[in-house]
Parts: sequence; structure tokens; C-alpha cells
Amino acid sequence: MSYYDYIPLLLPLILVFGNMLIRLVNSKRAQLSFNIAMLFIIAAYAAAGIAMGFNFSVPNAYTINPYSLFFALLFSIGMLLVNLLAFRYASDYNDFALIGSFALLGMLLVAASTSIIAIFIGLELASIPSVFIILLSKRESVESAAKFFVMASISIAVFSFAAVILYGSTGSFAISSYSTGAAVAFAAILFIAALGMDSSIFPFNVLIPDVYEGASAYATSMLGGINKKMGFAALIQIMILVFITDSQAFLLIAILSVLTMFYGNITAILQKNVKRMLAYSSISQAGYILIGIAVSTPSGIAASLFQIFSHMFLFIGVLAIIAWLESRNRTKIDDYIGLHEDNKFAALALSIMLFSMIGLPFTTGFVGKFLIFLSAVNANMVWLAVIGIINSVISVFYYAKIIIASYTSKAVPKKAGMDTQTKTVIAVCLIITVIFGILPQPVISIASSAGTFLFH
Amino acid sequence: MQPIYVLVPIMAAMLLIALLKNRRVPGPIAIIGSIVALATFPFIEYGTQSMAWFSAGTFSFTITTLITPASYLLLGVILFISPLIYIYSTWYMDKPSEQRRFYIEILAFEAAMLAFSFSGNFITFLIAWEFLSLTSYLLIGFWNTRGGPIVASRKALTMVLIGDVAILAAIGVFGATFGTLEFSSILAALPSAPAGAVTLGAVLLVIAAFTKSAQFPFHEWLIDAMEGPTPVSAFLHSTTMVKAGVFSILILLPLFQYAKLTTVILAFGLLTAIIATLNAAREFHIKKVIAYSTIQELSLMLVAISAGAVTAGIYFFFIQSFYKAMLFFSSGSVMKATGDEDLRKANGAKSNKLLYFSTAFGVLSLAGFIPFSGFFSSIGISSSLAANLPIYAILSLISFGTSFYIFRWFFYISAPSSDPDSETNYRAQPKRMLFPIVLLAIATLAASAAFIYFPSFIDSSQYFTPAVSGLPLRADISDAISFMVLISIAAGVCYLIYVKNRAGQSARFARLGYTGPAMNEFYKHFSNFSLEIVEGAALFDSYVSSFFDDIGRATVSSGYLIRRASPGQINYYAAFFAIAIVLFIAYIYA
Repeated sequence: MSYYDYIPLLLPLILVFGNMLIRLVNSKRAQLSFNIAMLFIIAAYAAAGIAMGFNFSVPNAYTINPYSLFFALLFSIGMLLVNLLAFRYASDYNDFALIGSFALLGMLLVAASTSIIAIFIGLELASIPSVFIILLSKRESVESAAKFFVMASISIAVFSFAAVILYGSTGSFAISSYSTGAAVAFAAILFIAALGMDSSIFPFNVLIPDVYEGASAYATSMLGGINKKMGFAALIQIMILVFITDSQAFLLIAILSVLTMFYGNITAILQKNVKRMLAYSSISQAGYILIGIAVSTPSGIAASLFQIFSHMFLFIGVLAIIAWLESRNRTKIDDYIGLHEDNKFAALALSIMLFSMIGLPFTTGFVGKFLIFLSAVNANMVWLAVIGIINSVISVFYYAKIIIASYTSKAVPKKAGMDTQTKTVIAVCLIITVIFGILPQPVISIASSAGTFLFH
Repeated sequence: MQPIYVLVPIMAAMLLIALLKNRRVPGPIAIIGSIVALATFPFIEYGTQSMAWFSAGTFSFTITTLITPASYLLLGVILFISPLIYIYSTWYMDKPSEQRRFYIEILAFEAAMLAFSFSGNFITFLIAWEFLSLTSYLLIGFWNTRGGPIVASRKALTMVLIGDVAILAAIGVFGATFGTLEFSSILAALPSAPAGAVTLGAVLLVIAAFTKSAQFPFHEWLIDAMEGPTPVSAFLHSTTMVKAGVFSILILLPLFQYAKLTTVILAFGLLTAIIATLNAAREFHIKKVIAYSTIQELSLMLVAISAGAVTAGIYFFFIQSFYKAMLFFSSGSVMKATGDEDLRKANGAKSNKLLYFSTAFGVLSLAGFIPFSGFFSSIGISSSLAANLPIYAILSLISFGTSFYIFRWFFYISAPSSDPDSETNYRAQPKRMLFPIVLLAIATLAASAAFIYFPSFIDSSQYFTPAVSGLPLRADISDAISFMVLISIAAGVCYLIYVKNRAGQSARFARLGYTGPAMNEFYKHFSNFSLEIVEGAALFDSYVSSFFDDIGRATVSSGYLIRRASPGQINYYAAFFAIAIVLFIAYIYA
């Protein structure tokens, strides 16, 4: 036990308290620079930790291991990108930065928790700021925030109920395997339901599209890009570490993944509003991630983690383009007609990222889906892989709609410039999508070590 | 040289076109890129090469390339045809604004097709296959401001997606059964493989191949694909991409023999060939006649390969490209000159002698007249299969029909034009448009010589493990004579109907059997049946618009309801949550 073990705690706390102090200055640029610097340091710490194989825990507080570092790296980089978007599009960036830093603290805690209670606190710490982020993002977003609040409170209530049942039957809050019994099985269901809200699993996702559509695009990018991944970070840990022997619960996850994919993909087809369509698309992507969890093998979890990585950047990247167009009052698919004449970069980036969501080769989306389907095949769940394949084919219809619209010429093209922040975010997401689509080995290795770690 | 380097010039050309702002350069860059790629062709080596891409757990993901005599030929055809396509396109695609998009898309297609031709495992195969689907979809719908191409591209996409699902599922099955995705390892492990799983995978693969190669019941999309630009029809939809299905059956032939699917392929091939021949004789769209003819030829390739006449099948696979691309070029030129796509108005091709005679070469070759390569391929297939009398008889009937419909097409386009402008239009067509046509006409003749060399080049035992006992390539004199007589009669009948009695053609044509009672019933039966299956199985569109629409609308309207009754939404969501949990509990304790 050395002082170095407290660095992982210290860094997010510096982020939070630093944001509080800088908030007094009321300078957007100062706040942005501080946030970028701190998030960069957290990401660097996580990356270094992964490279050096950190594996230690502070009792009753948190644990630093390949799994938590994987998510810490993702969340901090994701938050960095969202900060850039918020800087450009939020009416009050300083508020976002402050509230967002609390949310990030919660998310990091969820990924690094050693007990159910820590996850509970982390979820609370992430959810409540998220409500305010939605609320402050846009004048009309009160409804959206209210819905998110309702969802979050129900899920927290159910989560605590599940924790209580688990405690009642096992006498412990620790995240470790217990023998199965009726009560433990019941707790498993309640955990799936509670975390199903954040990770947008059917049928706990029915309000998700409303929330995503109602919030401003940068807030949506955080909800779908990071909050949702936090839900998965908690779900994977709890399911694998606590309920691994409960095969029924994993079959339930398989069924839910099928329902989630179909629900997301089928309803997305008819949507006219691009952001709402993306909300449904992100639901269907959650379904693919669930396949890997349902498979419940190290390679399945690794595949899910890769897909989480891939989808986070894709979602934030696409939402950056949506945010940019939203600021020009272009929200419907019909408004996307002629995008390639207005801004070539935006149209190209949008198409590549949507192709990646479809799962076209040489993008991260392809690698992620391939690994997920492969893990299902290897675990003798060919049916699940086939349903996943059918779903990714259905998804072509709505993704193609957006791509076709943006490459259709319109009568009066109007050049539209893009600001540096948005461009940076899109470029980063695009580069990651393509680079790790062509050379995915580093990310696969990190995801595999994080995945196999859970099985020790 | 590793075959993968062929892609470099193509990629470089794409990149250059994407970067350069000038709207005149894309065509020339594409031509140069494809010629450089063609120049690398002689250096390509036979055999297998692998590159590791990435690995996950015990599974490693490799890009494997495999060059067999058959893939060598396909590669050669693609590389030889592509510069001609681009040369023709510089004239045909004359709008400067659409140049860049067109050349980037078609070069991307070429890269995918080249990768397909040398794929040596299912991963490379899958990647190439996906890009083929995508680029084909983009190119059919190239003129996306018009209605027809959009509908056609969506139909093509629907069919192709059925194939994609099938191929992915097949890969899943093969991966689970063999534990490897390399073609060579799969074929080598065949004798000890479980028959059930192999059959399932092979059936899925056949479905995929049939969607790509437009076989019954998936053939309709290729006809609609003619809405795309003519160079695209000439490149994708007659000579290269549509052969992908046939090619995949060819290189994995032992798999289908092991699964005892060759008879099924044969039956579907013959059926498709008959349907396509009858349709071609009734069609009035200048390109769609050729498209039906393409479907028929793909069927014949499948018939030859599945019946064991592998060498004859590969020969046909090879030579068909030259005259088919050329006939599409001719169609494009006629369409440009007359501004019409209907055979009854699109005519007057005689005004341009070079075009006229080159087209005649293609027509004679397609019909199968000696000494054109079409003759050798037809005679090769029918002589090799002569032992099987029913097949031989059906093939003879099909050759009769082939000769009839292609001469009908030819007599239409060469009839004197009623439009006075068309003659000047014909004369104004530049040399660079005619160059590919003339070159292909020569190739059609030159490829005949390959017939003699072929048996030593394509030795099926060389590259199939386990070896396939293919029937030897033959050309019997007696077959040749009867064949020539048959197709001459067909051409003569056609001449009598369409040249001598142009006025009463439709009446006579009707009496001559195609709409006659027996034939009519026969055709109707199959056309309706095929249409039903096509629409039932393939129209994902209608699937989407009926079933999915309802669900979508229900969701949208429930969204509105929620918005209106804001306080009610908490109850709604909570109720949903509670019901779900109750269901889960019921599931766990049931």
C-alpha cells in the first residue's frame, strides 16, 4: 500500500475541484484548457496503467486493473471529445464542464468499483449530473430531462432493491461469485433491469429515443457515447463476477439482445429525425454488445468491449456532425440532402462512420461485429450470431438512407464551413474508426486482457 | 508478385481522383491506373499467400490470396476489360459534375472485384463480397436524381443483402464445422467432415451465389439493374460482378459435390436458362435483352460446371466477357445516338459501319457461329455433356433460342431509323468510343484460339483438392454441324420475321410459338411463379413498408401520445418496467 495507489482517486478529484475553482473565473477558454489537460492526464494514466499492467486495489474503495483502466481510458477520451463539442454548442460551457466532471467521477467509480455499493454511488453520481446536463443543454429539453430523471430514479430504485436482496441472501456487498439460489437469481434479474436503462436494453429503453431526441446533440453524444457504456461497464462486471454460474440469466440476456436488436433496427427504419434514428441505432448496437455478454466467455467479453470502444467513437463522431447541422436547423433526413456539396468533409466522415456502424470492412465496426459473431459461433450459439447478422442487414436500410441523402444533389448548394472544435472531434473519431479498423490488434489486445481479467 | 499488389495502382488512382479538383482528369487517371494494373498482370504468381491481420484468442484473422488457373483468368478478364470500360466511359459519362463520383465508385468496384478473384479464404472473400455489394448498389443508383435507378438499386440491394446474410451464415457454419476459414484447409478436411453441417453451409453458399449471379428465383434484380449507366452494365452486370456467384461455386466445387448439391445447381441452372431465353425473345428494352442473355449465360456456366464439364465451363466463363461487354457498348452507342431505349425506336446502327460490323461480330459470337469464340464455348459445353441426352436436348433448344433472340435484337438495331437526326449522331461518335468496341470484337475472334490451348491450361486436378474428375473438353464434328444447322435455322427464321415482314411481325411472332398455347402456358407458369417467389422472398421493400411501417408508426404515435399526456408517461414507463420484471421472474421460475 503506497501513496501511489491513491493517484487514481486523486486525478478525478483534481478534475472536479479544479473545475469548481475555475468556474469562479467564468472563462470558457480557461475551463476548456483545464478540462482538456486533466482528461488527457487521466487518459494517459489509464494508458500507462494498461501498458504497465497495473493491478491493485484500495480496500473498500476501488480497484485498478485492466478492466477498469480500459473504461477509464474510454470515458476520459470520450469526455474530452464531448467537452470540445459542449464548448462549441452549449449555452453555458462552464456549467457543463463542472457538472460533467462529477458525472465522469461517477463513471470512473462504476468501472473501478469493488462492491455493489460503490457501483450504486457511481451510478447516482453519473445519473444526477446527466439530468442537469440534459436540462441545461437546450430550452426545450425540460421534458427530456424529466424523462431521463424518471428512468434514472426507477433504475436506481430497482438497483438498490437488487443490492438489498443480494445482501440479504449472501450477507455481502462484494462483487464476487455466490452460489445460486432463488434469491440470487432474482437479484440477477433486477440488476439486468436496473442497468438495462443506462445500457438501453429492451424493454427498459422505451423512453431513450425521446430523451436522446429532446436533448441537445452534444448532450446526446454524452448520453449515448459514455453513459450507456457506463451501464455496460457495470452490467458486465456484475454479470460475470457475481452471476457467472447462473446460466438462465445469461440466456435471458441472449433473448434480450435479440429483442433489443430487432426493436432498435426495425423502429429506426421509419424515423425522419436523424438524431432519433441514431438513438434507435444505438439501441440496436447495444443489442450486439449484449451478444458478447450472453456468450459469457473471455472472447465474448473482449468482443463486447471492442464493440463498446468502436461504438463510443462512432456515436460521438456522428453526433458531432448532427450537432453541427442542428445548429443550422437541419435535423430531418431531408435536410441532409446535398450535404456533400455543402461540406465534403462532413459528408465523407458521416458516410464512413455510418458504414462502420453497418459493419463494413476496414472500420472498427466490422472488427467489432466480426469478433462478436465469431465468439457466438465459437460458443455454439450460431443462432444468436445469425440473428445478429440478419439485424445488421436490416440496419443497412436506414443507415443507407442518411448516406444517400447526403450524397444526393440539391438545387441550391450552400457551402457551409465548420468550426475547429467540431472538426477536431469528427477527425479524431474518424481516424480512430479507420486506423483501428485496419490495424485493430492493439485494441483487441487491451480488450482481451480486460475481458480475461474478469474471469480470474 | 503477390496478387494483392494489383490493387495498388487502382487505389492510387482513386486517391488521386479524390484529391484533384479538376473535373477533366478523373477519366484519364482511371484509364492510366487500370492500364498500370494490367501491366502487373504477367508478374502475378500462382499459389497461396497469407498475411496475418489480427488475432483474437485462438482465432487469427488472415488475408489469404489464392491464384488458380480459373482465378488467373478472371483476374485477366477484369484487368483487360477495365481500361476499355474507362475509355468508353470518358465518352459516355459526359457530365463533368458526375465524373469524380463515377470514377471513384467504379474504381472501388474494380478493386473489390480484383480482391474477390484472388481471395483464398472466407475472410478475404467476405470483405470483397461486401464491397462488391456496396459498389454495385451505388453504381446502379448512380443517377440518383431519377426515380427508376433508385428503385432498381434498392431492389438489387435487397437481393444482394439476402446473399450477404446467407454468406455470413455460411461462414459461421463453416467456421464452426472446420475451425478454419481457409479454402484449402476446408477442401482438404472435406472427406472427414460431418455431412449435415457441410450441406447446410453449402446450401447457404448456393443461395448467396444465386443472388449475385442472378439465378432463379433471384434473377429479377439484374434486369432492373439496367437502369444504371451503360459502362456499369458492361462492367459489373455482364462481365465481372455477376460472375462472382459462379466463380465461388467453381472454386469450391468439391464442397458442393460432397454435399450432393450439383444436381440442384444443374436443375436451377437449366430452369433459369429457359426462363431467361424466353424473356430475352420478348423483351423490347435494348439493354434488358442483353441482360436476360447474361442471366442465361451464367446459368449455362453453372450447368456446365455442376454437370462436370468444368473445363468447358471455365472456357465459357472466360470468353463470354469479351462479346458481352462489347454488346453493351454497342447498346450504349445506339442509345446515345437515338436517345431511345426501346428496340422499336432505337435503331439505325448501320449508319456507323465500324459500330455495325463490330456489333455483328459480337452477335455472331453470342449466337455461336464458327469461327467466333462463342461457337467453341457452345460446342465445348454440349459435346462434353453429349452423353447426357436430356441435358444435351435442352442445351440445343436453348442455343436455338439464343440465336433467335440475339438476331432479333440485331435486326432491330440495324433497321433503318425513322429519326433523321440519328444518322448525324452516329457519325459524330468519336473514335475513342469505337476503339473499345473494335478491340473487343477482335478479342472475341482471338479467344477462339484459346480453345486449343485450354485443356492444358485448366487442369482441374491441379487446383482442386480433392481432385475433381472433370469431363474432358471436347468438340465433336457431328455436334458442330448439327449445332451450326440449328442456329442458322434460328437466324433464318428470325430474318424472315423481322426483316422480310416487318409490318406483320408482331402477329407472326405471336403465331410462331412464343405466345402460342403450349409455350404460353409453359412460360406463364414459370414467369408468374418466378415473379411470385422473387417478390415474396426478395422484396424487403414491401416487407419494410408494410410490416415495419406499422410498428414504426405505432412507435411514433405512441411517442406523440406520451408527449401529450406528460404526467402519464411516468406510469407508462413504470408499468413497462414492472411488466418486464414480472415476465423475467416468470421466465426464471417457470
